[in-house]
Amino acid sequence: MTAQTLMNPHPMTLRSSDTVATAADHILKHHLRHLPVVDEQGRYLGTFSIYSLLKLTLPKAVLDKYGLDHVSFITENIGDLAKRLGGRREDPVKNWVNVHDVAHPDTPAMEVMLLMLHGRTTSVPVVDKTNDRLEGIISFWDVLEKLMGESA
Amino acid sequence: MHGSEADAASVLFGLNPMWVAAVLFAITYIVVMTEKVNRAIVSLLAAGLMIVLGVLNQEAAIRGIDFNTIGLLIGMMVIVAITRQSGVFQFLAIWAAKKVQARPWGILVMISLVTAVTSAFLDNVTTVLLVVPVTLLITEELKVSPYPYLFAMIFSSNIGGTATLIGDPPNIMIGSATGLTFNDFAYNLTPAIVVIMAATLIPIYFIWGRHLKAAPEDRQRVMQFNEREAITDQRLLKQCLSVIGLVIAGFIFAKALHLEAATVAMTGAALLLLLANFGRDAEHQSKHVLEAFNEVEWITIFFFVGLFIVVHGVDGTGLLKLLADKMLALTGGNLTATSMIILWSSAILSAIIDNIPFVATMIPLIKAMAPTFGGPEGLMPLWWALSLGACLGGNGTLIGASANLVVAGFAERAGQPIRFMQYTLLAFPIMLMSIAISMIYLYWRYL
Repeated sequence: MTAQTLMNPHPMTLRSSDTVATAADHILKHHLRHLPVVDEQGRYLGTFSIYSLLKLTLPKAVLDKYGLDHVSFITENIGDLAKRLGGRREDPVKNWVNVHDVAHPDTPAMEVMLLMLHGRTTSVPVVDKTNDRLEGIISFWDVLEKLMGESA
Repeated sequence: MHGSEADAASVLFGLNPMWVAAVLFAITYIVVMTEKVNRAIVSLLAAGLMIVLGVLNQEAAIRGIDFNTIGLLIGMMVIVAITRQSGVFQFLAIWAAKKVQARPWGILVMISLVTAVTSAFLDNVTTVLLVVPVTLLITEELKVSPYPYLFAMIFSSNIGGTATLIGDPPNIMIGSATGLTFNDFAYNLTPAIVVIMAATLIPIYFIWGRHLKAAPEDRQRVMQFNEREAITDQRLLKQCLSVIGLVIAGFIFAKALHLEAATVAMTGAALLLLLANFGRDAEHQSKHVLEAFNEVEWITIFFFVGLFIVVHGVDGTGLLKLLADKMLALTGGNLTATSMIILWSSAILSAIIDNIPFVATMIPLIKAMAPTFGGPEGLMPLWWALSLGACLGGNGTLIGASANLVVAGFAERAGQPIRFMQYTLLAFPIMLMSIAISMIYLYWRYL
């Protein structure tokens, strides 16, 4: 079994120029955790996720790779956090994506499981090796359904 | 001069050892400058070639390594690696910002002072790694540009580092090679550093400081930071502060106790490791000790090891003595002229090249001048000129010191990049001003 057979070939995607507000609407409305972001040619740029939304509520200084590892000294209320998120509503989503490890259509199923485990993610983008186009998304739930179906 | 004919193995192919050493040395410098190959690789490879080509044998090479410098660096790095986990540096930065009611210019001055004082006792790179994130957070909350703050921090880390024996690698090397103590450095350099720090803030005020403004509600947000919450581990903090206190006391009384700086730092590191791991089971101890050791900058350490061997090899061939004689011929053996040449050339060269290999080369060169100036005592002004020039010169360009590049990295990621030329155009003149102050200071006090 390969990534090709596990993936959903028609996932919901975001365009790189879509705004944070659009992404947040999709995530809330469909209760999604991860939305892949593609450019005009359909190439995978990264994933906008609920974690991107969390980041959008935090000061940039906290997000730096050598940034502060705890911020318990900041006493902001939910309104302050919302205000920061609100100020970034019109940002393009491409500024806030995470680039996940990807699978290719011929990646074996076990490798896909390992990618999910190591990446602590519930969805793995499947990307064409040669042109970087997004071919589909493997969701943990699809895999689980297949697994349970087989074992029953 | 610690090199001797007996150190040299037989040079391959009957080549002149002075030429072999000089060529290897020059290639090492050039490759380190290009930054195409990691500097630790370059220096270790050059050290290996020095031995293989027979400029010196392994025994002599090991004698060339200044283990006092290596031990002092590793010991302090371990102490800092443990101390940073306590959150004390964030505490200091926030406390300082609130002391000035979160006024933007006041914060710039306070953050500069915190950076300078911390750099005087800790490695400069570590200092900026700890203080920059809080500074970026504060400027973001105040909605002011972080640029002037980061610019000031580069300067204060290098200026502060010059003040003490343990503040900057050049001082560690000079202290170790000459036997000058922690107190000697504090007594001779700190007064100049206080003046230079204050003088550096003046142009920063006129360029940026007087235009910095923040809205009252934004300042209010910073005032609401609770710095006590920044301390993550009270017990660890007490242990760290006690050990750091003991280590500094050890440096101050090192001479009376007949101890070398490396002994003080390494024993302090071992004591702090013991305290921080007390009561943990074997597995957790291994994990935490390994974490602390992993924070040691091994690239810097091995760079030093290789470099000491290369310089010892060059020194043993008499090349540095030759250069020292040339320099003395140029200055006519005049102490004032020699001091000034060392001060200004160290400053300008350190702005462009790494000051560590430069100082490693200058130390035996200056030592060779002792007979001209009436023995080692007569060299004092030259050591202070070398220290001030090599440490402060690092401010001149973005590549002048490692801390500069670390700050530039933060600036880049925060979307406020510090451009090389833009930085140099302002920083180089301010650096020259600090060297001019050093010149007046040296002249007034020693010449």
